[in-house]
Order: sequence, then C-alpha cells, then structure tokens
Amino acid sequence: MEEPDWHAPATVEEAIALKARLGDGATVVAGGTFTGILVANGLIRPQAFIHLARVPGLDRIEIGDELRVGAMVTHRRVERSNEIRESPWACIAECFAQVASPRIRNQATVGGVLCDADYASDPPTLLVALGARVRLKSPSGEREVLVADFIKDHYETALQMDELLVELVVPKPPRLVTYLKFRSRSSEDRPCVGVAVAADLDGDGRCRTLRVVVGAVSGRPQEFPDACALAVGQRMSVDVATEIGRRYAERSSTLSDVRGSAAYRSRLIAVLVRRSLEPLAA
Amino acid sequence: MTLDPRITGAIEYGQDQHIDGMLHARILRSPHAHAIVLSVNTAGVPSDVVTLTRDDVVDLEPLYGPMVKDQPVVAGDRVLHVGDAVAAVAARTPREAEEALELIEVEYEELPGVFDPVEATSDSAPLLHEGLEIPAEYRPDGRNVCHRFRLKSGLGNDGFAGAEVVIEESFAIAGAAHNPMEPHATLAYWEEGRLHLITGTQTPFNTRRDMAALFRIPEEMIRVVVAPMGGSFGAKTFMRLEPITAALARKAQRPVRAVLTRAEEFITVNRHPAQFRIRLGANRDGTFVAKSVDAWWDTGAYADCGPSVCTKGGYAAIGPYRIPNVTVDSRCVYTNLPPAGAFRGYAATQGVWASERMTDLMADRLGIDPLELRLKNLLQDGDRFATGEVMHDVRFAECLRNAADAVEWGEGRKNKGLAVMLKGMQTPSRTGVALEIDAGGHVVLRSATTDMGQRPEIAQRNLAAHALGLSPDLIVVGPNDTDLVPFDTRTTSSRSTFMMSNAIRAAAHDLRQKIAERFEVAPEDLVLSDEGVGVAGSPDLSRPLAELAGVRGDGTFVTPGGLDPDTGQGIASSHWHQAAASAEVNVDAETGVTTITRLHTAVYAGNVVDRAGAELQNEGSTIFGIGSALYEGIVFEAGQVTNGNLSDYEIPSTLDVPDFTYELLEGGEHSHGLGEMAVPVVPAAIGNAVAAAGHPVRNLPMSAESVLG
Amino acid sequence: MKIQVRVNQRPVELQARTDETLLTALRRADFRSVRLTCGIGVCGACTVLIDGEPISSCLVLAPAASGADITTTEGFDEDDPVATAFQEVSAFQCGYCTPGFVLTARALLTENPQPSDDEIRHALAGNLCRCGSYVKIAEAVRLAAESMRS
Repeated sequence: MEEPDWHAPATVEEAIALKARLGDGATVVAGGTFTGILVANGLIRPQAFIHLARVPGLDRIEIGDELRVGAMVTHRRVERSNEIRESPWACIAECFAQVASPRIRNQATVGGVLCDADYASDPPTLLVALGARVRLKSPSGEREVLVADFIKDHYETALQMDELLVELVVPKPPRLVTYLKFRSRSSEDRPCVGVAVAADLDGDGRCRTLRVVVGAVSGRPQEFPDACALAVGQRMSVDVATEIGRRYAERSSTLSDVRGSAAYRSRLIAVLVRRSLEPLAA
Repeated sequence: MTLDPRITGAIEYGQDQHIDGMLHARILRSPHAHAIVLSVNTAGVPSDVVTLTRDDVVDLEPLYGPMVKDQPVVAGDRVLHVGDAVAAVAARTPREAEEALELIEVEYEELPGVFDPVEATSDSAPLLHEGLEIPAEYRPDGRNVCHRFRLKSGLGNDGFAGAEVVIEESFAIAGAAHNPMEPHATLAYWEEGRLHLITGTQTPFNTRRDMAALFRIPEEMIRVVVAPMGGSFGAKTFMRLEPITAALARKAQRPVRAVLTRAEEFITVNRHPAQFRIRLGANRDGTFVAKSVDAWWDTGAYADCGPSVCTKGGYAAIGPYRIPNVTVDSRCVYTNLPPAGAFRGYAATQGVWASERMTDLMADRLGIDPLELRLKNLLQDGDRFATGEVMHDVRFAECLRNAADAVEWGEGRKNKGLAVMLKGMQTPSRTGVALEIDAGGHVVLRSATTDMGQRPEIAQRNLAAHALGLSPDLIVVGPNDTDLVPFDTRTTSSRSTFMMSNAIRAAAHDLRQKIAERFEVAPEDLVLSDEGVGVAGSPDLSRPLAELAGVRGDGTFVTPGGLDPDTGQGIASSHWHQAAASAEVNVDAETGVTTITRLHTAVYAGNVVDRAGAELQNEGSTIFGIGSALYEGIVFEAGQVTNGNLSDYEIPSTLDVPDFTYELLEGGEHSHGLGEMAVPVVPAAIGNAVAAAGHPVRNLPMSAESVLG
Repeated sequence: MKIQVRVNQRPVELQARTDETLLTALRRADFRSVRLTCGIGVCGACTVLIDGEPISSCLVLAPAASGADITTTEGFDEDDPVATAFQEVSAFQCGYCTPGFVLTARALLTENPQPSDDEIRHALAGNLCRCGSYVKIAEAVRLAAESMRS
C-alpha cells in the first residue's frame, strides 16, 4: 500500500491552504501523540500528513492582559514556564503538568489536546472555567471561539475543514482557581472526573463570581451557572458547597467506561465539587 | 564495570531472534465468540505470501493441548472464542503480512455463546466440545466440564453437623492478563526433516513433546532453543505460537517468525476467572470443624492447563489449616472466552482470596481476633492436610506472626488485614542437571531452566560452585537447547531453585565420582579447587581442571506424588510454598479509593542462594499482587475484551506502590522458590484490611467503585 | 523515505515509511534497546531521549524526527554513572523495560541532580515494569545521583 504524502509547510498560510485542498484525506500532525497512536495501531490511514513543526510563530507564550499560548507549545513548556508560573495564570501550568507522563507532555501540544477533544482530558475542563478561547485561521480570515463552544463532544470540535487552530487565549483568571484531577485507579490513569473551580471573593470572603466546570465524565466539559449562583453574594459554606455539588451531580450527564460507571461518576461529582468548594469557606 | 546486556539493551529476546530470509507471520482471528466457519477463501492473497488454512494441516493430529487435546492449529468447523485462529500468513515484512490478512475472506454463521462458567454447566448452555476425548486421569463430569477435582476428608459435608457456627459466602475473581513487557515470540524453521523452534517459552520439554505428537514425528526430530524472555509470568507456557509458526515454516520452506501485538496478548491466554461458594463451620472457641469449597474455573475455549489450575486452586482454597472435614468440588469449565492457563500465583491467587476472606468472616462472626483464629487452626509439623499428606518443615505460624508484627497488630487492628497461605509446587516433577568440564577448565552447567527475568544463571552458578567447592566464576551456564540439556519438567510453579539445588547437588556428586574414577581414588580423597583437582596427601597428582575436559556428572531429582482426582487424597505437593502478608489501608469512604499505608510479606525462603534475585522476585511478586488487588481485571462483553490495552487495563506503576517491607524467612537445607509467593497473599491481606475498614469486599479486583458499593 | 538524525552523537540515516514510527525506524537500524510494548505511549519501553528529553518513540511519526538528536542506551559507555548504578544495585529482572528507565533516570538527573525521593518516584512513574523492579530502580537512581555528585 502506498505510503501517505508527508507535507511540512513553512507558513501558516501554506498549512491552511494544504488543509483546505486535501480535505479529510489529510491528517494534521502537531505534537503527534494522538496521530501516532491512530496511525501506528492502524486506526486511520490518511493519504497525507501535514506536519506543523516548521511553521513559525505557533510556539509563542505571551503574557499581557491575556495569556496567549501558541498551538505548537508543548504541555512540558507550559508546565515549566517560569513566566506562566509566576503570573496570575499559574493554575494553567499546574493543570498541564498533570497530564499523562513527562514523555507525553514533552510531545503533546496545547493545540493538539484541544483539537483532539478527547473527553478524558484535563486542560479543557480548566480552560472552560477560565473562559478561554481558541483562535482559528482559515484562508478567508480568522475567528475566535470559546473553548466551551469549540469542544462539542468526544473527538468532535467546531474546527472547519479549512481551519487551523493557531493560538489559545486565556483572559485573566479570578484569584482563586483550582483543578482537581480524580483518578479512580492507578496514579498513571486518565481522569475519571475533573473539577475546575474559578472564583473571586470580596474583602469579606463573599463569592463575587464562581464558575465550576466538571470534565471527563461526559463527551464535553459541563457547567451549571445557575447552581453556582447559589454561592454568589455570600460566604461559601459546607452547606452551600454540598448543595452545589448535589445539583451538579443531578444535572451532569455522565458516561460509563473502564474508570467507572455513569452512576459512580454522578456520586463522585457531588463529592468532588463539594470538596473543591470547601476551601473557599476558609 | 561490565554492564549486563539487559542494561545496555544488547540482550536478544524471543522477538529479536532472526534468520536471514525469514518470513513474518500474522494470524487471522475470529471476530466472533462462537461461530461455524462456513468458508475460508485465500484466493485474494498475493502469491508471494504463504497462507495457512486447515487444508494445510490435515496430515497433523487434529488437536493439541498440554492436558486435554482440544485445540486445532487453525480452526476447523468452528471458532470458539474471539481471537481464535482461523488462518495465518507469512510474508516478507510484517506490513505485507498484515495487509494479506485483510485479503482473506471468511464466512461465519454466528452461534449463541456462553461466557460464565456456572452458566456453562447448565443444560441450556451451548455444548462447546462435543465428542472430545478426555484423558482418563481427568473427570469431565458435567456439561462443558473438562475436569472436576473432588476432595473429601473426614466426614466431608456431614461434618458440618458438628459445627456450632456455620457461615456461607460467595466470591468472584476476574480474569487477568499477564502483560509481559515483551509479547509472545517464536521463530520456527525446518532443516533436513528436523523442526527447530527458537522461542520464548517456560516449557521447552513440554513443547517438544506436544509438538512431536502434533506433527506425528519423534521427539528427537524437534529441537527447542529457549530465548530469554522479556517477562512471562505464565503466559509463555506450553504451545502458544509454535504450532502455527512450525506449520507455516513447513509450507513456506523458510524460517517463519511470529510476534504478537499487545491486543493479541489479551486474547491468547489469560488468568482463569473464578467463582467460589464456600461454607465454613467452626465451634465458638474458634476451632475449625468443616469446610466445603465449590469452585468454577473459567478455562475459556481451550483447557490449556486448566485441569491442573482447578485442582491446585481447589486445595489452595482449603488454606493451611487443620480442618477435620473438608469437601472440595472444583470444576474446570469451557466457555467462549479466550483460553485461560498458567498465571503467576497459579490458582492460589483466586483460592487464597476466597479462603482468607472467609476466615475473616468467621472471625467477625465469632468475635475472635483474626490473628488468633488463624493461629489456633494453622497446620503444624506432623499434622495432616486435607489431602492426607503429612506436613513437614511447617512455618505458617512463623510467617503469619512476622506479618502481624510488621503492622503492629497487637496495637490495634483497625484498617488492618492478614492472610496466610499454602501453595503447591508442581508434583510430580523431575529435574536433570549436568555439570561438564570444558577444555578451558570451566564447569559447564546444563539445565533446561528458562530465564524470564529471574536470571536463574546466578543461582545455578552459586549452587554449583558451592556443591563443587569452586568459585562461581568457573561455572558457565550452557545454552538452553533441548539437544544439549537434560530433561526438566518446566520452569513454573516456583519449583526451579528448589529442584535445581537438589539436582545440582546430585550432579556435583556424580562429577566427583567420575573424576575420582579417572584418578583411581575414592571421591572423599579428591580435593577440588579453582587451581584444579588434587588428591589429599599426594601433591604430585594435581591436575588443572582443563585436563579433565569432557568429564561430566549427571544428577536428577524427582518428586513423586499426585492426587486422586475423586478423593483428593495423595501428595499434592512434595514441598509447600508458605507465605503470609499483612496490610493496613486507608479507604476514602466517599470515593472508594483504597490507599495502602502499610504492606508486608513474610515468605519462607529457606536457603537463599541469590540474594539480590530473591529480593527482586519478592518485591516483584508484591507489586504484581497489588495489581491483582486493586486494578486488574479483564472486562469481557459477550466474549469481547473491551479493555485490551495498557491504558484501559492498568498494571501498577511506581507511584501505586507504597513503601512496603518483607521478611525472607531463612534456614533449613532447602532453597525455596520465591517467584510467586507474595502474589496470592497480598490481595487477600489488602481485602481483609479493606473489610476491616468497613467495606466488606468479596470480589477481585477491589475497584474504587466496588469498594464504595 | 530517508530521514537524517543523530543517534548517540553519530549521524544515522533512518529508513521508514511516512506512516511508520521512529520506534520502527530505530529498530530497523538495529537499535534494539528501544522496544514496543503498549504502542500507545503509556509504558515507556520505547523511550528515547530527543535533545535530552524523554519521548515515546512509538508515538513519533518517523519523518517528524528529522534532524533530531537522539540518545539510546547503545550510546552509554561502561563508566556511565546511571548504567553502573543499575548494575550495582541489580535494578532489573527481565531487562525489557530497563533501557527506558535508564534513559528516564539520565534525563531526570541532568535536569535535577539532587532529586528527592518523591521527585524520583514522580519521574519514574511513567515507565512500567511488569517484573516489579521499582524498588531497586529507585535505589539505583539515588546511587547514581550520589556518584554524580562526587
């Protein structure tokens, strides 16, 4: 059987043009971890590869009013970036540091994890809670889409055939941000449940804003702003945390997989959302 | 410092064996768990690819198997499990072989399947091996039952009448995948009518014997060369890839090598899923009075060594206890799952789980400390086990006390658990060793013990050196080639160090004898040292070893025994493996996640001849046990493996392993095997600890979800 | 396709299809220390260092490795402190996973010459050993760190 063509475009424009021309016969290779698995195990047989490693400008990390991370930045660079760790976006470095193993993080990219849209992932959950966006480029221009809207379902995104994800943009986070990765099995496991909390407290410890996002339990991250609204304007308490947890458990759609059944996940959501919110009561 | 080739990566495993011009094999496998094979059409395969279908093996025996001959080289009329071999190809490259598979057309007619061993014994279950010839030593009593091991001691079930308290419980243990890091690999070629197999196997002589029967040629026409294995844990036993590669090589008239993919590792041979129903009767003072064990072992589509697993697991579930009235009814059952076979811990993992959880349930019921209850009933020297054999060299209590002390049992038993076990060693069995002096003045040790990571050459050299009074540097271990080494039953069951130590002693004795004959003196007058051979009192008669090139000593060690399959009486094990474990856990009551805070094993090691090796084996077994306890279980859905990769099926990583401790109990004249000892007691101790923490568990693995309930 | 790389500081021309992995290409070029086990990047048996960083070679499409500076254990000499530590402590059983661990340890100690026990465990967690040599492997890493300090 013929081997696929290997394209290594030298500019974003070239990459986009190639993608538009080759359509779904081509597979984009960023870090290549996901593509590597699919190809090596015979799950896909593309006619062509479009490797992004030579495209300049996709590997920037910029801190200003917002954090901008190029699509080709590896998880490891985010994890180790002193710039990010010493900024209000430190939570992002901590979250990316929890993904898989150092080997995977050395290779997998920020753009890749978003385009793969694998449900059992960590970064999307936190990025949704922070209101992050992705910048997409096509021959006709560019657009920005909230990560929450970009990821539609497991392995399904809003990326059009002629688009390339070039950058992740994260607005300045509120002061209290946490990401909890719950593993039900080995320490090397993927998340069974992920809970991201982003909150701002006022001088008296009352919640000004609160976002809670639950991930890895269904095709895409989920949040219920009206449940979070319970906490706004008051101090967090165990009771409020418990109630928010209960509502999230009731309303979150959950799936069954090797890490746990749908029913187990629902039980865990109540517990883990509560546990994530309890520290805000202190 | 000379670096071991395992560190540099220079070592060549089964998968690295290479002969110029060899072809690469791939196997076409059934996607159905149970189906009639209507047709197999290889017409679409390119002419330079060799194909193998049932037509190519009509001159062979129709079926093979190490105990029951029930497995075809490639499927005949039926396929009996997802992954069952239907055809095979051999091509110039693995890629071409893979592509050729896709060009083979197979028509199936699906049949209803059965995937549970209890269900498989019911009248409505499909009959999987109609008209199969089962050897006389097995008892195929029951629908889809290929062997039934029964044991009765004392009054059997009538003994329960004499018990003040009787409890009953059921337990289930999931199947598990060995997952050696290196997959199965075999290279076969024919030369002048002789079949040469270069293969990763724990059982060279079994393989030689069974392949000879299959190909209808004398054993002497088969040579098995054992390649070092990148782990095995029981997976690389008996006939695995050898029949198909040999058949392909015969047709191709070229060497053929087969290496499995990771997905194939999950449908080739696994650990037996098992179910138990146990009844235990005791008096209020804690004395055990009666026990009955009903067990069902899911041996899958082909029996492999299932009959032996169901026997060993049957008596392992009795436990190392003095119980006057015991009944065991242990069934090895065919289902449409992939075959189950030898697996580290060999039926003891399942049997000890059921037995030791039951012991704790009785302790709870009686309100007696689980340690005291065990100590009260543990077998001692001179006691008879339920098989009727008299126990000797008994250290159960010592192991158990050591384990209990390690977790400060006396200070309180909250969240703590104990387990103690007896595990049999392959009986009967035979081991031969030869020691031959070479022209360089070395002593070449010839043994069929295979290396799957335990590096037996270290123990072998130490044992031979000690027996001869030489330095280990003078001992060289020869190649593991059935043309060159004496018969050995197989490297399983943690038998090798024990058996070899005895066989080496015998061979050393014989070598001294032969040397003495050369010198025409009595063996006691010989002085053997690194400088050479001398005669006491006659310094002029000294000779360097090199001058004795060709002198060879042979030694054999045999352990007789066996059990009557109907009564379970006889000698189950010439030598018993004895071990105990203790654990302390922390269970998150809201998530069910278990954290092991303390873990200890106490293992009777006897005379340790390779210290680092002993430690590695026990550490490795402990870690293996943690996997069985918390993570490992193959998930089948209508016979399909749904978690057949190392992300969905998890084995322990560094961070999953707590700081654990262990004690190798030494002493005595024998060297005991350590390859498996911790594997069965670790899950049982953890299970008892989880139960003590308030979560009564009955099944393995103890996933967080199952603990939460 | 021909792919130019450096392996253990020597130029090597790898042969591979575009849809083959770096692992396949390296083994074809006789670097047998790099092995296939899981094929999905979780076990570490295929670990190589690329520019000193551990990577799962089973996940790298061969052409993507063009120009890479690759390290495998074939390049370690007899005095290498990490390799000798593994030898001294007997930090291996079947050895199949060992080169992956040795490379991972080398990368750790290059980045962090005085790792704590916790840091060692975390660095090793992504490499699986079915034989269960983790205890001695961690010991070997501690010993290597010590010997590299002196």
